[in-house]
Amino acid sequence: MIEPLQTSLLVASLLLAVVAGVYVALDRGPDNAVVALAGLLELGVIAQAVIGIAQVAGDDDVASPVTFVGYLLAAVLVLPLGVLWSLAERSRGATAVLIVAAVTVAFLVLRVVQLHG
Amino acid sequence: MAEGTSTRSGLGRALIAVYAVFALSATARSGVQLATKASEAPVAYTLSAVAGLVYIAATLGLAEVGPAPRRLAWAAVLFELVGVLTVGTLTVLDPALFPDATVWSAYGQGYGYLPLVLPFLGLAWLLHTRDRVS
Repeated sequence: MIEPLQTSLLVASLLLAVVAGVYVALDRGPDNAVVALAGLLELGVIAQAVIGIAQVAGDDDVASPVTFVGYLLAAVLVLPLGVLWSLAERSRGATAVLIVAAVTVAFLVLRVVQLHG
Repeated sequence: MAEGTSTRSGLGRALIAVYAVFALSATARSGVQLATKASEAPVAYTLSAVAGLVYIAATLGLAEVGPAPRRLAWAAVLFELVGVLTVGTLTVLDPALFPDATVWSAYGQGYGYLPLVLPFLGLAWLLHTRDRVS
């Protein structure tokens, strides 16, 4: 797939995890700044899904297309669900949900890269 | 946090999020495996499906969905603990037992041993939130 996009996705998701981690350490609930960061990351994840699915639909060679598309779509769902689950409560634990979501996205992006390579 | 004994507030939210990720990944993975190559390793894939259901039950229980969520969470987390210890031990003693890996193979090695840690976190959280009742 396109490596620059995925490299930035990995960096952005780890950045989100670190920022959320700092929030947890400071005992802060999720605020607009973290959610905006998650939103930016989500845009990149959606771009990855669109490009990835287009490549599978084209003639690109992917080891297991079903799993590949599954990972792409799962990555799109993780952040919105995480933000929803997080925002229902403004506490430190709620911010920790964003760490889980961010690490999950990073993991899914890695799997996508592995499957395509 | 109005409900002090709730299993879904505070750090419980993060724990539920981890459980939800495992519920989704284990279920989806075994679904794909059972649908595309069930005959290769039926026991392993069925076991993955069972693990997925257990994670779903734990997620719902901890998130307080359903009539008796705390009991559901206890049952699921205990089942999960027994499952990961049993399957982990069996796969370490006899790797040939399951031709393809499951979530619980080698104590969840393929998932950074999180499947081994998770039931202990779940139990600790259930005990912690129970303490606040009394």
